[in-house]
Amino acid sequence: MKAKDKDIAKFYKDATAFTCISNPATALPIARLNDDYCDCPDGSDEPGTSACAHLSPLSPHNPANGAGAAGSNTTLALPGFYCKNKGHVPAYVPFTSVNDGKCDYDVCCDGSEEWEGVGGVKCEDRCQTIGKEWRKQDEARQKSLGTAGKKRKELVAEAGRLRKQVEDRIQSLGTEIEGSEIKVKQLEQEVADVERKEKGRVVKGSVSKKAGKLGVVVGLAKQRTEELRETLERVRGERDSSTSRLQEVERILSTFKEEYNPNFNDEGVKRAVRAWEDYAARDKGPDVDAAHDRDLDAMTKSDKENGLDWEEYEGDDDDSEADVLYAFESYLPPSIRGWLDQKLRNLRSTLIDSGILADTSAPSSSGDSKSVTDAKDRLTAAEKEVEKHRKTLTEHQDDLAKDFGPDDVFRALKDQCVSTDAGEYTYEVCFLSKTTQKPKKGGGHTNMGNFVGLERIVVDDELPPNGKGLGSGERIAMKHENGQHCWNGPNRSTLVVLACSEVNEVWRIVEEEKCVYRMEVGTPAVCEVLGGGGGRAGMEGKKAGGVRDEL
Amino acid sequence: MLTLYESQRRLTAFLLLLLTFCAYFTLVVSVKHENFKTCDQSGFCKRNRAYADTASSTSLWQAPYSLDASSVKFEQGILTGTVLKKLINSDETVRLPLTISFYESGTARVTLDEERRQKGDIVLRHDSKAKKQRYNEAEKWAIVGGTSLSSGAATSKGSEKGTTNVHYGPAGTFEAVIRHEPFGIDFKRDGVAQVKFNDKGFLNLEHWRPKVEKPAEDKKEGEEAVVAESSKEVTEDQSTWWDESFGGNTDSKPKGPESVALDISFPGYQHVFGVAEHAGPLSLKETRGGDGQYSDPYRLYNSDVFEYEMDSPMTLYGAIPFMQAQKKDSTVGVFWLNAAETWIDVTKSTSSANPLSLGILGSTTTNTHWISESGLLDVFVFLGPKPQDVITAYSELTGFTQLPQQFAIAYHQCRWNYVTDEDVRDVDRKMDKHRIPYDVIWLDIEYTEGKKYFTWDPMTFADPLGMEKQLDEHERKLVAIIDPHIKNEGNYHVVDELKSKDLAVHNKEGNIYEGWCWPGSSHWVDCFNPAAHSWWKSLFRYDKFKGTAKNTWIWNDMNEPSVFNGPETTMPKDNLHYGNWEHRDVHNINGMTFHNATYHAILARDKEEDKNNVRPFVLTRSFYSGSQRLGAMWTGDNQADWPHLEASIPMILSMGISGFPFAGADVGGFFGNPSKELLTRWYQAGAFYPFFRGHAHIDTRRREPYLAGEPYTQIITQALRLRYALLPAWYTAFHEAHTTGAPIIRPNYYVHPGDEKGFAIDDQLYVGSTGLLAKPVTTEGADGVDIYLADKEKYFDYFDYWMYEGPTTVKVAAPLDTIPLLMQGGHIIPRRDRPRRSSGLMRYDPFTLVIVLGHSGDANGTLYLDDGESFDYEEGAYIHRLFEYTSATATLMSRDLTPASSSPSKKTKEYLKSMEKVRVEKIIVVNVPESWNGKKEVEVSEELEGKSAGTRMAELEWHGKVEGRAAWAVVRDPGVLIGGGWRVGFA
Repeated sequence: MKAKDKDIAKFYKDATAFTCISNPATALPIARLNDDYCDCPDGSDEPGTSACAHLSPLSPHNPANGAGAAGSNTTLALPGFYCKNKGHVPAYVPFTSVNDGKCDYDVCCDGSEEWEGVGGVKCEDRCQTIGKEWRKQDEARQKSLGTAGKKRKELVAEAGRLRKQVEDRIQSLGTEIEGSEIKVKQLEQEVADVERKEKGRVVKGSVSKKAGKLGVVVGLAKQRTEELRETLERVRGERDSSTSRLQEVERILSTFKEEYNPNFNDEGVKRAVRAWEDYAARDKGPDVDAAHDRDLDAMTKSDKENGLDWEEYEGDDDDSEADVLYAFESYLPPSIRGWLDQKLRNLRSTLIDSGILADTSAPSSSGDSKSVTDAKDRLTAAEKEVEKHRKTLTEHQDDLAKDFGPDDVFRALKDQCVSTDAGEYTYEVCFLSKTTQKPKKGGGHTNMGNFVGLERIVVDDELPPNGKGLGSGERIAMKHENGQHCWNGPNRSTLVVLACSEVNEVWRIVEEEKCVYRMEVGTPAVCEVLGGGGGRAGMEGKKAGGVRDEL
Repeated sequence: MLTLYESQRRLTAFLLLLLTFCAYFTLVVSVKHENFKTCDQSGFCKRNRAYADTASSTSLWQAPYSLDASSVKFEQGILTGTVLKKLINSDETVRLPLTISFYESGTARVTLDEERRQKGDIVLRHDSKAKKQRYNEAEKWAIVGGTSLSSGAATSKGSEKGTTNVHYGPAGTFEAVIRHEPFGIDFKRDGVAQVKFNDKGFLNLEHWRPKVEKPAEDKKEGEEAVVAESSKEVTEDQSTWWDESFGGNTDSKPKGPESVALDISFPGYQHVFGVAEHAGPLSLKETRGGDGQYSDPYRLYNSDVFEYEMDSPMTLYGAIPFMQAQKKDSTVGVFWLNAAETWIDVTKSTSSANPLSLGILGSTTTNTHWISESGLLDVFVFLGPKPQDVITAYSELTGFTQLPQQFAIAYHQCRWNYVTDEDVRDVDRKMDKHRIPYDVIWLDIEYTEGKKYFTWDPMTFADPLGMEKQLDEHERKLVAIIDPHIKNEGNYHVVDELKSKDLAVHNKEGNIYEGWCWPGSSHWVDCFNPAAHSWWKSLFRYDKFKGTAKNTWIWNDMNEPSVFNGPETTMPKDNLHYGNWEHRDVHNINGMTFHNATYHAILARDKEEDKNNVRPFVLTRSFYSGSQRLGAMWTGDNQADWPHLEASIPMILSMGISGFPFAGADVGGFFGNPSKELLTRWYQAGAFYPFFRGHAHIDTRRREPYLAGEPYTQIITQALRLRYALLPAWYTAFHEAHTTGAPIIRPNYYVHPGDEKGFAIDDQLYVGSTGLLAKPVTTEGADGVDIYLADKEKYFDYFDYWMYEGPTTVKVAAPLDTIPLLMQGGHIIPRRDRPRRSSGLMRYDPFTLVIVLGHSGDANGTLYLDDGESFDYEEGAYIHRLFEYTSATATLMSRDLTPASSSPSKKTKEYLKSMEKVRVEKIIVVNVPESWNGKKEVEVSEELEGKSAGTRMAELEWHGKVEGRAAWAVVRDPGVLIGGGWRVGFA
């Protein structure tokens, strides 16, 4: 009788007959057990051969596969060929690998699955060596896991400390804000006082001064306006010529992009097209629009046409300065004036409604004296400080509310970076920040995604002997999205899957799909957090220990 | 104010962005038509079409070619003579030496040359160094046998005046009636004309003439002919005689006009097939316009046409100028041996029924017009009468398809590109983890260091040998790409040697030609050159191409050749190859010479002392008649959409009947991302491609089968395991192709040449001689297909034995998890049902035989088996059995099909010894008679060392009819050996 697990062995005790495990109605003479012909619909009569390996939902439907009904859900009663692996851990080999002429030492160190010696293959028992090596590594792993556990504790402590810091800071901010608010109130009072004092003075000064000063100002303003208009015209001409040149270049490039041959994969061409696409996709900033141009047209007309007659002001200065200065709308042509007036009114009321602008509909003084300005500046500064404190407070409160993983542990890793070399790049992950690809040959770094959050995913990987791998089970992963846009593809994104390790290190980086990356990263932060040692990159995996528990 | 403007500007910018994106997404990538010529843009095609139009429209057209009767000689199967071409505008005649050879195989060959060029008595323009002769070495590359001359062929006085007749072929039933004036030939079988040459008078061989420089003012296009020939009735368009421009490239044409053309008619034949490779229906369409027809001829000019369009006569990557014509119970064919650019017009004419002869229906005649730019007029004629006869005769000439290694017909996993050696190892592990069988993983161009072939990128493929070792642990292979363009860069030993040894293709000035391809500036190895061939061989030695191991094989791509900056993405026609042949003369053969050099390089890569006894595997994209000897082909850069999946079936069927059956299409579609349904259906179809490879463009998402998710991964795995289970049947079909030229997947007409209704069917296929009939689903959302059953026979669903009966069209359910696959009654199908990780690991697995009983109650099938890798089979190391079930005696016999030999070779014995434990574990009999109900046992007797070794009983399990399903029975473990003689008695 070929090897079987002890728990299963009870089905094979009868020395005269065998009953299929899942189909007790089918009884076979004992000679049909392991006779390399599949009799049981569940394959249980061939625990030691590959005769029933085809009983699987992965095989094509076939009436002759056991029960007879086409497409029947054929499932094997046994998990595989049982390798005792004396001196090591027992394991199951898939039936598809039994007697195929290849020793599967990675699972079956005793070589028992090649008992038939097909093609002359001989698989000697290597369990002593393999088991010894495995135990050695396991010991190292356990030791490392112990250290890792300790490190996690340290990280958690550190995270707690950092949290405490934030909490403390929130508290102190509260006090600070209170103090600042009092200060603001005081300053408001001060401004009011100063203003009251200054009011009379302004009115007086305005009366005593000679009006002839306006004539000089107007002269200067006229000259200055002329200069500005000329400059504006010149700049506008330059702008127009640049714009048309730019448009021409853009036209050339878009034709180039449409007509180039993507199959040729010429790196130079691809790079150019890619750069063009990036460029084209970018916000190009303000475009020349008609309204803007109309404004410019109006502004570059002579002042007379704009309804401004300098002479009117040069000779006669009856009007108050304030009136002239505030009647700026009259500088504009009537058509714009109406439109602008309307818009300004709307804007103003919007701003006032939202409290951004003070309501100055009540007549206010035309200019503040230095002492008023100073007082106001002090007030503004004080207000800003309050604002700043409040913002910081919100940030800290948000920070406390954020998911930093179990025990808040990632708080301790925030912005720490680890990297690894793979191919022509160095890949880096900065915890809770972003992932980056850096070419070794030099050149720009590529953002592979910005951290957006944590999630839990199920992985099912073989664990390498050194334990540097994900293993199987639920793991914590960090999602990074919206990295740099990819040629002919999406924005880059990276999933950083974490498993327990003594130090922070990047184990593996793969581009799973175009510009969709997956990093496998070891960190003590996730040790022993999921289930009974799930997150711990431990010894589970292909060894039968786990499998046996399920039976 | 600013704020207001700002928001407006943002809106504008947003709209612009939107526009940009729209432009981006509506940019439909498809074949760039303007990159490839139409007949009208190809001078000689236009001229010859115009010539044909003149001939057809002139009521008293007198073809200017006549055979000088006094020159005719016939000796030992060869007729020679001189055809005289009368010139239109002079009294001169041009002498054209004619050779008609009659081969023992029943094949006739007509060759027409031009005396002045043959003798080199011409002057080339532009001081060209090109060879003066018409290209006469195509046969050196394409023809490998079948040319022993007929001893029985004999001339007889023509019954008509002015003809010479030659009787030849089997029992003299073939006859060539050679008409002297105008020159033409009718090929008859049993007295009936089957193939006619120059029946329509389109024969045209553009003779050499010096260029007459005319005054400049005459040179306006469209006028010169009128001016020059103003006094004559017939004018010739000379505008493309001396040079020709297309897409900014000018062809200098130092030899002037030199095209050859001929009309070949197939009287009474409604269908013609062949002239691969085109993306269109198997039955060729008419090409002179009309509803649903093409307006351009079928073109053969090997080109890198990516994202090619469906249903088009446009040229593709390879050329097989072999055509078959089909009418009820008769197949004939022609092979136009010419390597230059070739166009083929197809028209059909239907004669109305003759009112005087009652009962005779009108018949359709297919006319074809073959036009090549240069070279000899060299045509082979096959008179059938069965499809198999024509293909075998063609294959004898051009060679039988290679018997591939077994892994080569299993599943190949490819992608442009697996990015690192670790990536390869990871895919390898994941396939095992998901229990998905595969044999080969592929590397596209990115594995190289800067596209320098024979190097590995040290960053990404640091350990190729370790990777190959891992693959070898489960008998898996690696295929790496090697293309013919060699990067023009300093310190690269390959290009240094190429240059210093002067082994590259030259430009028209005779200097090394430089063009643009993947690596940028490149040179092209000239494999026409024997020295280049030897040098190429040296490059693949394990010590030269470091990082390759015995399980590394090669993929030749871009060998049309593809030149990114060349005319029509290939080389200038006035480039010079070895022997100073112009590229125009050899273009369509170029890809094959490269494929050939690589094949021999793989043979030669081992050390002398362990001479490679392993069959090479080399995939090629470009091909010509004869490429089948060297490996597999695939249909190039297709697209991940349903029409491309649909088109793959007729395209591969067409390759099958063109003598190059080891063909496949990229599963999943190269460009674009297939939906999961499309991917699944494509795997189900791919399981019936002789060459079965999943492939994907570098810009597509990953799509290895295990990524599809359930239920797709499971369904794909079932399709893959079906392919693996049927590998013994596939391998047997390959062996049949290797020995007879028979297609591996066969169209309806081939299997049922008497069934006119089925001649055009090209969406279902038979697998070899197994009677397996598959109709892959190629439409989205389908839940069933119609299958055409041509014969009065029973067919059974492969998966549940549901019974159908022909002749009729039946509906077969095909939900996503089902492949419509039937078994024709009367066959025995060999299988190996145990799933393994790779085909190599199935070597010692037992067999299942499926006996499918039809109307007669008898059934038979064959199995060919060898080590699946070495050439030992050539020394007898194989098993070849015929299984025969006879209903009269209710017995199943296994007979030996190997030639009887008194002393089997050492290799034979060794092989049989290695297989001595491999048995038949199960015999399934489908559609068993009712009388078997209650039968419990069968009698098994084995023959050991030629003697019967007593009998024993094996259990029989009977299953009655359920609904529409046939009754069936299973013999439990008969234990008979696959390589032995035995008998199972069911009586």
